[in-house]
Amino acid sequence: MGALGAGCGASAEPPLERLAVRNGWARIADSGATSGAYLELVNRDTVPVSVIGMSTDVATAAEVHETMQHDGMAHMMPRTALVIPAGGTVSMAPGGLHVMLVGLRRGLTAGDSVALDVHFSDSTHIHVVVPVRTP
Amino acid sequence: MRRRLTSLLLAGTTLLLACDLGGGYQGMAIDPPRAMPTFTFQRANGSVFSTAPAPGRPLVLFFGYTHCPDVCPTTLADWKRVRATLGDDAKAVRFVFVTVDPDRDTPAVAERYAKLYDASFEGVSGDAATTSRIMEAFGVAAAPEPGTEATGYLVSHSSQVFLVDAMGQLVALYPFGTGWEALAADLRRLVS
Repeated sequence: MGALGAGCGASAEPPLERLAVRNGWARIADSGATSGAYLELVNRDTVPVSVIGMSTDVATAAEVHETMQHDGMAHMMPRTALVIPAGGTVSMAPGGLHVMLVGLRRGLTAGDSVALDVHFSDSTHIHVVVPVRTP
Repeated sequence: MRRRLTSLLLAGTTLLLACDLGGGYQGMAIDPPRAMPTFTFQRANGSVFSTAPAPGRPLVLFFGYTHCPDVCPTTLADWKRVRATLGDDAKAVRFVFVTVDPDRDTPAVAERYAKLYDASFEGVSGDAATTSRIMEAFGVAAAPEPGTEATGYLVSHSSQVFLVDAMGQLVALYPFGTGWEALAADLRRLVS
């Protein structure tokens, strides 16, 4: 019976979450300074969903921003709503979408971790802990 | 500020028109190389950093600001990779982060920001006149942009890296997104 139970458990696939946040990381930075974090946002639902906010204990504010290059200039602007298409993935990356961590309450060094809450337009949120890296 | 941005953009455009992909550089070569004026910056401890030519010691410069969470740290992280790739040859290279936001970035703040990535990196902040002159010389533009209540103003700024050889001549630049390997290869040629 025990063997049967173990066999069933081993063959069962864990259910895929409707929304997922994965492959996140944050940059090193001084206390009081600004850092950036990068996330991969997955929407397995059949309807689009938006990221409408972020929160964290390590900084005064966590905001989604996007860097855009134009004529050799880097422009950055806040993204108040970031749409993740149905069945799609939005990947943040250096030089593009990122989470701006403003007013760090402590320094971030390689090997640390940062807890982030990602808030979605359907009133759900996902809590993730991402490593701090020296990229 | 807007007027200054326009004039600097024009200067930058002129500079870029003089560039090609030749000259043996993997970055965008400046042909002919352009002699650059010398600039001095006072460090937080009162000592002076100078961009004056130094035998065998090229300069690598980037213009940004410390509230920048993306492009500036990406560039400094790339420099860290360049240093690691060059090994002992990297000791000859002067990597310099120049703030375009001296109102918020004091010399101490700029220095700490750069040294967080590598103790050998210089982070400098000049007075308004020095900042304006070095930006004009390199064809660098910067302009404040509205941010949020938390971030305060943001700064749009030129995002390329500049390479000045040991004779004080601007020889190549590297638009943001250029692989760091290009800068490493060009520096190896200059210092080995």
